[in-house]
Amino acid sequence: MRMSWKNWIPWVVILIVVVFYPVVTDIYYTNIFVGFAIFALYAVTLNLLLGYNGLLSFGHAMFFGTGAYATALVLTHIPGFPLLPSILVGGLAAAVMALIVTPLLVRVSGTAFAMLTLAFGQLMFVLALKFREVTGGEDGVGGYPIPPLKIPGVASISMTDATNFYYFAVAVTALCLWLLWHYTKTPFGSLVVGVRDNAMRVDFLGLTVRHIRAINLIVSGTFAGIAGAMFALFQDLVSTVGVLDIFNSFSPIMMAYVGGVGSYFGPIIGSGILALLEDLTRQYTERVELVNGLVFILAVLYAPMGVVGLLDAAKTKWFSKSVEKANVERLS
Amino acid sequence: MSPTTAMYVAQAIHGLAYGMLLFLVSSGLTMIFGMMGILNIAHASFYMLAGYFCYTVINMTGNFWLSLLFAPVLAGITGVLVERFLLRKVHVRGHLAELLITVGIMLVILEGVKVFWGTESLMIRMPKGLDGLLTIAGMVYPVYRLFIIGLSFVILGIMALILFKTRLGKIVRAAVSDADMVSALGINTPLVFMLVFGIGTWLAGVAGVAAAPLLTVFPGMADQMGMDAFVVVVVGGFGSLLGAFVVALCLGELNAYGIQFIPRLAPVLMFAFMAIVLSFKPTGFFGERE
Repeated sequence: MRMSWKNWIPWVVILIVVVFYPVVTDIYYTNIFVGFAIFALYAVTLNLLLGYNGLLSFGHAMFFGTGAYATALVLTHIPGFPLLPSILVGGLAAAVMALIVTPLLVRVSGTAFAMLTLAFGQLMFVLALKFREVTGGEDGVGGYPIPPLKIPGVASISMTDATNFYYFAVAVTALCLWLLWHYTKTPFGSLVVGVRDNAMRVDFLGLTVRHIRAINLIVSGTFAGIAGAMFALFQDLVSTVGVLDIFNSFSPIMMAYVGGVGSYFGPIIGSGILALLEDLTRQYTERVELVNGLVFILAVLYAPMGVVGLLDAAKTKWFSKSVEKANVERLS
Repeated sequence: MSPTTAMYVAQAIHGLAYGMLLFLVSSGLTMIFGMMGILNIAHASFYMLAGYFCYTVINMTGNFWLSLLFAPVLAGITGVLVERFLLRKVHVRGHLAELLITVGIMLVILEGVKVFWGTESLMIRMPKGLDGLLTIAGMVYPVYRLFIIGLSFVILGIMALILFKTRLGKIVRAAVSDADMVSALGINTPLVFMLVFGIGTWLAGVAGVAAAPLLTVFPGMADQMGMDAFVVVVVGGFGSLLGAFVVALCLGELNAYGIQFIPRLAPVLMFAFMAIVLSFKPTGFFGERE
């Protein structure tokens, strides 16, 4: 099916907004957008497990944190390490981490999966906290040089400049999101959803459910690691409480849930909503998480499919002629 | 007695006191898990909440014993309200929604106490008569830790009596092993759930008040206790009180001696052990169900 020119309009609008955003806003809001973009990617990788595979991870920070630490350490210890490989190192480290834990994680599902990821997440947290020769313990690793983006023979773009880094981060995030979008649309992506809905039936088709879960987990972990690597470049500081803390496992869950776990774009929207909300509450109180927590509880209680689900329901109610039509386009 | 032996004994007492507190928290957690099938992420938050209630009650009345009476009850009432108005609403949608809502509750309680009581550590004075040291056979013991151990054993005894000698206890034990069947027999299981949730959070509350003078009250106080309680419930087996008791005491001692001999490995070992048990023996050592 070819997209008509009408389908391109929203993407063109988004592109224009993203390109001109740092021009019209100041550095503070530029950085907020970078944070939003990184966490949007992180939340999407979590949703690959939660929404697409029906597995709730309470330890997703172990992938994010591993990626962040790997990038920070490689930049600290190897002088002159280039920018793009440093991000790949983060993704690769998280992939290795995922490979190590996957054989145990695919054995379980449901609450047991949540508990086991919680255990691994906490294990990584205390390991990073205790082995301070490598990780710097509570203080973390910081102040490493952020390499410039070198295009051979053309230019060397400094990444310490907020606007430059903004364009770079948005480009990397968009590329990852584009890749993951196509990943979910492959036949394998449909299998992942199939395992969520009826694992036994997939098993009867002659496919190994554990392998499907394992591959999905590794893909999710790798991209979470890339998000962590971006975070390390963005903050120039990686500490246990910042990246491996259990609250860093909870926040993508909240983003995914508030935005809607039933849609690919839900976690991105959720990340945006929570970022806006955070900025708004910060003007009145320091207790940002209180508002986030309340919004999250309301979402779980009254909008199990998040904002996207609410919009879908509204669309069906007011605009759609037949009720079935709207239900077809759901996580196909 | 040599100073080394004295040190060992003192550490053992410390470990036992922490282990008993841990058991009070995890006994509620394991019962709730066994019965309702949900892992209550917010459980340790009630432990913390009771600590804060204790601080407020002491500020108002100046009496520790009153706070030991009222603060856990307030925490228990909060627990009942949470069960009735939040958990029950999402119960039909399955465990995932319940698990998620307990995460939200944990966040709200954590941030809520910061709004009401601030982020600083609040000191609570030990009650008179319990703040001293006791000398038995040439050894010195801090009285308050002995008090915690004694209090926990009394509560443990009462709980065991209720669970194993009354009709209510029989219903609760039956519901822990198969809630659907109990419901089919015509027993109002939602009411039993609410009651168990209330008692579970009350137990956590007792532990919170008992720990308050020892460890001070601060927003991070639920973190370690919560994680330790998860380990206890997982390793001991979901829904197994005996398992929780044994593992809680072991963990208490590991905490006390681990700090001395393997300060780095103690917490790592704990979570590694939890992961291994979950992967290879998901029923835990004393439990029967996943």
